[in-house]
Amino acid sequence: MGAKNKTIKAARQALGLIVLGCILAACTNLLRQNSLPFAGDWSADSRLSDDSGQSMVIGLAEASRMYAEDTAVFVDARPKDQYDQGYIRGAVSLPWQQVHERFMEAADRLETAETIICYCDGENCELSHDLALFLADMGFEDTRVLVNGWTVWKEAGLPTQSRNTDNE
Amino acid sequence: MNKLRFQKIEKTGFIFARILMGAVFLYASYDKILNPQAFAEAVYNYQILPDFAVNAVALALPWIELAAGLCLITGIWLPGGVFVCALLMCVFTAALVFNQIRGLDVHCGCFTTEAAHGPAGIWTVIRDLFFLVLSAYLLVRIVFLPLEKTGDIPGRAA
Repeated sequence: MGAKNKTIKAARQALGLIVLGCILAACTNLLRQNSLPFAGDWSADSRLSDDSGQSMVIGLAEASRMYAEDTAVFVDARPKDQYDQGYIRGAVSLPWQQVHERFMEAADRLETAETIICYCDGENCELSHDLALFLADMGFEDTRVLVNGWTVWKEAGLPTQSRNTDNE
Repeated sequence: MNKLRFQKIEKTGFIFARILMGAVFLYASYDKILNPQAFAEAVYNYQILPDFAVNAVALALPWIELAAGLCLITGIWLPGGVFVCALLMCVFTAALVFNQIRGLDVHCGCFTTEAAHGPAGIWTVIRDLFFLVLSAYLLVRIVFLPLEKTGDIPGRAA
């Protein structure tokens, strides 16, 4: 068999394998107890929800209002070195990767808050959501997520702080 | 004599590469098939596919990997299996490199859906490049420049 024919044969078989894979995936998914919808909802409200499916997302306007009224504590879920370079003024650092080691340090501040607003950086950063779920599990009732928090806060010109510089 | 020896070594290397890639694909499919939701999150985090396609790809991809892995190991539909294997390695490597370049801190989702394994880094890219080279060698050896019958596993022919 020539190389051209071999290539055509390989491509046909590959297509067959892909179709077979899709059919097996569809069948097993339909048989699965908690099957996955074939077209999922990946909006922020849907992704960043609590265990009951309620969205944890808070908008920048509401978050900044709570900041001005001093009714919320902001929690920075990013690694400590990123926090040191700049953070929402007054925010507590509780890096998600070290949450168990550092939770007790932050707990005193968090207990005084009506609302806890977790943030990290980037539209798809999951650290703040993971941290918000953890804090909700720890008994903090009103725990929210400010999506892409650091960037949107900074771009809105709201108060920030860094290890060396106050109020940028 | 030397030529014969080289052919023998090459044949052994070919069988080893084939079994290794088959095993890699089987292993890679296992955890993703068991945890489609977690794998869908890994796929979503790559930020390459449109949202509506994330779940469908996350569901189908592990089964395609499984099918390709089985083909490589058993020798059934070997040209098709190696074609899929090389195609997927191109896609995986391109996606990893793309996100490394744009600085997106994503979890690989290559062999496990657990985020605890840390984000993909340069070593993940190097590992994928190695598998890409291996699958390209198999593709050339089986499809484009077959030297001889490649059914080296008893009872199977390409």
